[in-house]
Amino acid sequence: MFGSKIKIPKELVEKVNKYAELAGYSSPEEFVIHALEKEISKLEESDSEEEIKKKLQGLGYIS
Amino acid sequence: MGDGNSGTILKRMPLIPLLLAGCLYPGISLGYIGPGAGIAFASSFFFMFIAILVAILVFLFWPFRSLYIAIKRRKRGYKKTDIDRVVILGLDGLDPALCHGFLKQGKLPNLQKVAEKGCFHPLATTFPSMSPVAWSSFSTGVDASRHNIFDFLNRDVKTYMPDLSSVRVEGAKRVLSLGKYRLPIGKPRTVNFKKSRSFWSILGDYYIFSTILRVPITFPPDKFNGALLSAMCVPDLKGTQGSFTFYTSNPEGDGKHTGGVRIPVKVENDTVSAHIPGPPNSLTKTGEELSIPFRAKINRADRTVAITVDKDNFTLKPKEYSPWITLKFKAGMGIKVQGIARFYIMSIEPDFQLYITPINIDPGKPALAISHPDYYATCLAKIQGSYATLGLAEDTWALNERVIDEEAFLKQAYLNHAEREEMFFNALGKTPRGVCACVFDATDRIQHMFYRYLVDDHPANRDKDREKHKNAIEELYMKMDDLVGRTFEKLDDKTVFIVMSDHGFKSFDRALNLNTWLYENGYLFYKNGNPGDWFQDVDWEKTRAYTFGLTGIYLNLRGREAKGIVDPKDEAPALRKELHEKLEGLMDEEKNRVAIRTVYETTRMFDGPYVGNGPDLIIGYNIGYRASWEAAVGNISEKVIDDNTRSWSGDHCIDPKLVPGVFFSNRKITTRTPNIMDVAPSVLDLFGVKIPAYMKGTRLFSRTPE
Repeated sequence: MFGSKIKIPKELVEKVNKYAELAGYSSPEEFVIHALEKEISKLEESDSEEEIKKKLQGLGYIS
Repeated sequence: MGDGNSGTILKRMPLIPLLLAGCLYPGISLGYIGPGAGIAFASSFFFMFIAILVAILVFLFWPFRSLYIAIKRRKRGYKKTDIDRVVILGLDGLDPALCHGFLKQGKLPNLQKVAEKGCFHPLATTFPSMSPVAWSSFSTGVDASRHNIFDFLNRDVKTYMPDLSSVRVEGAKRVLSLGKYRLPIGKPRTVNFKKSRSFWSILGDYYIFSTILRVPITFPPDKFNGALLSAMCVPDLKGTQGSFTFYTSNPEGDGKHTGGVRIPVKVENDTVSAHIPGPPNSLTKTGEELSIPFRAKINRADRTVAITVDKDNFTLKPKEYSPWITLKFKAGMGIKVQGIARFYIMSIEPDFQLYITPINIDPGKPALAISHPDYYATCLAKIQGSYATLGLAEDTWALNERVIDEEAFLKQAYLNHAEREEMFFNALGKTPRGVCACVFDATDRIQHMFYRYLVDDHPANRDKDREKHKNAIEELYMKMDDLVGRTFEKLDDKTVFIVMSDHGFKSFDRALNLNTWLYENGYLFYKNGNPGDWFQDVDWEKTRAYTFGLTGIYLNLRGREAKGIVDPKDEAPALRKELHEKLEGLMDEEKNRVAIRTVYETTRMFDGPYVGNGPDLIIGYNIGYRASWEAAVGNISEKVIDDNTRSWSGDHCIDPKLVPGVFFSNRKITTRTPNIMDVAPSVLDLFGVKIPAYMKGTRLFSRTPE
């Protein structure tokens, strides 16, 4: 009901907090999300070509 | 992670009874279907019930909530500031050189007044210099490598196919099959690719309220302490970035259009009967296109057309836009998807020609969340009536493909602009403290489409009017000055007023296809010599570099791109250097002009965590040049450089150093070289909020007002 919780070792959390801003992230959460997104993107499927073309239709800058 | 600040909202909302009610509900949300290309459908009784319940709970909790906020406010916001409000008027693409010229001629008296009281400077823009990148830097105070928006487009490294860089709309996770129907369980999801955090979200933590209207790349809308209406990249009802419909009785033409569909019609007994194509039916397994029948009856005596759509009747004169007409597409099972569009009769004779704008999401009943809170878009519609919601609302493709003419385009742009002004002044009146920011797009779109009038020998002038609208850009700047004047007179001394743009404008008369150059110079290869859009037939096992979008070159990097062949450590640095050296100073032999002024290596100029998602090289085109239309969609063309003959004749996707925006304020600033990344930290600083260390911009205003 209030979102999922995942346990992360305390030492890792400390490192995330320490390096997030140094690396240019706006928060430790953004750092963690980016790390997970990078890994998950390797596993996810892509949209079909037709679907992509349809979505981009009308974008003024491109033909 | 976008600007998700839902924790703050959750703490202040009496959610538990609401969630219990949600648990009791069976779980099929008929409020939304889709998106596929069509997005969503009308809401149901459940949502009405929830709305009433929320209203009652908000009323009951109001005294406690007010007390809580008052205690918080005493501790936090407004304690360390001498100002009440920051008002930001964003005029997309307003150019400093043109401003200087018109100021000299005394044509911008109100901007002159602001500049005399405070300042006027060019505003350095982002790398690359385009609206999605620049407005993202405006809101977050960071560069592209930290907010992750490098262009309108990014690519899927697994397929090399492009997608919008800022957002993806996905269907509901699960669907329930019932005969021919597929009922979505849950809402469609909008995935935000923009990273970092907007200044209004940070201000919200300190209970400093902001009203943010139509700032590009705010879709999906942030959740924060304030109100926001999304803009650029909000799709139309079909899920596209804007698709017009054009009906003509002229049988000539191939009917192919990039920005919409052309439907041939017959005039019989002065009557035209046809259908308005809508979104695909996401409720059914076949996903057939939904449509609405309409009839147009021509009255030749008084030169009017009576149009009947569903049960609505209205009469139009040629060259006149209808008000927003509600279009309800029936999907089955009593569910409708609702949008709005304007109708415009281009001509009655010799040919009947009717143009219908892209079908916008109806703000009165939005099929997707386009505002924060969700009901804000609807509230605005109740106050001022329907308004354009599409991200790029001005239909540049309709003019580019000559479906409409300059007059029709200008009318449309100014109708949208008038709506925006109304919502801006409404917000200004209702935001006595905090931030009120609104971005107006007409400045960008009109300069794109009318820049040729400023350049006598522009190739786009061939076979087109050069007189009737030759003052369109001057008139545009004067109208914006009038808006500045009407805003400025409503502000007091405790308001900091900023008028700014994200980039400037230059002519776009020569189109450069870097894919052709890469192909001719042995960096890009085809399997069967059969090139097409979006890298059709490209041999990725031999290709080392490619381009799409407007300013970037990408290496086909091993470990990043699915079929990458360039080793990121051993080969990439040398290849970047090689391309840099070959392309910088590239000549347009036909015109004896330098076409590429500078090449920027992103790994050298950026240090943010998303640098790997962007291009490896950013091309700094010279004035007059831009990526060709074919290169933008990953194709090659016959010539590397050719004339741009389209109405889209001005642009800014060139060397960012050549196209700064403008920065006017009623207060002086501490530098003569402000950067668009400085605005976010400056606003935080004005309210006494500490500037986060990750921000790249710096504060512009002195702590002691002058």
